[in-house]
Amino acid sequence: MRNVWATIFATWALFAVLAVLAWTRPLPAAQPANVPGAVVVQGKNGTSHLVVVQGSAGTTHATTRTSPTPAG
Amino acid sequence: MITAATTAVPVTWLLARAAGLVAFALLTVALMLGLALSTRLLGNKRGKMLLGWHQTLMWTGFAMVVLHGTALALDPVMRFGFVAVLVPGMAPWRAVPVAAGIVTGWIMLALAVSFHVRRRIGQRPWRLMHYASFAAFSVGLYHALNVGTDLVATRGLIFAGIMSAPVVWLVVARILMPRPGARKAPSVPAPPAPATTEQHPSEERQTLVPA
Repeated sequence: MRNVWATIFATWALFAVLAVLAWTRPLPAAQPANVPGAVVVQGKNGTSHLVVVQGSAGTTHATTRTSPTPAG
Repeated sequence: MITAATTAVPVTWLLARAAGLVAFALLTVALMLGLALSTRLLGNKRGKMLLGWHQTLMWTGFAMVVLHGTALALDPVMRFGFVAVLVPGMAPWRAVPVAAGIVTGWIMLALAVSFHVRRRIGQRPWRLMHYASFAAFSVGLYHALNVGTDLVATRGLIFAGIMSAPVVWLVVARILMPRPGARKAPSVPAPPAPATTEQHPSEERQTLVPA
């Protein structure tokens, strides 16, 4: 009976520590969504322009919450 | 499917860490129980029950060590393999602290088995062998603090303090307190001292000097 209690106790302790470790696990860093870059834009008359695109300040961030469905 | 699951959530890595922490905690509690038994701090009546728990916790701790090693051997990132987990010095990563952990595991197995061969090997060798539990605790703590990724910096110090303080206190109590099996002073009254010792040294000298 003592062995049974020891096994139960150890198993619960293992699961408790496992849960804490899984909960506090650092998530992988999210990739930067909008970074500055250059884009080649073709004009109407055939000319091409190099346009530098800046990263927007209000970038999206990693979240576990899903986006709301658009209304309408 | 197993590969996909392990890459999404590192199950084996988390299991290895959790089992290692629980194994060391069980080893510490078993050591504390053994010290409490030897000093009889918990009383004489419950000695048999506590000895049983002492033995059971050592086996349970060793089972956790087996789980710890198996999870590490099967971990797809660490890629230790069973030889590196069983043989000290064969680990491809931080060989010395990992070897300390392997040595701790083998000592724990020897201590757990020693309970079952106690009558065969005799009480005195069994007690001497039991001193290896201090080595297992020290080497295991070294292993935990050096390769345990959960025990870095402040957390490691707190963990070491929580685990070591009761053990150190019990060791000091064991050293300072009289041993339960130690022989007491004889209760038979000492024979009356010879009269010469009651005399003043000068008088004694006078008696010794021939007239």
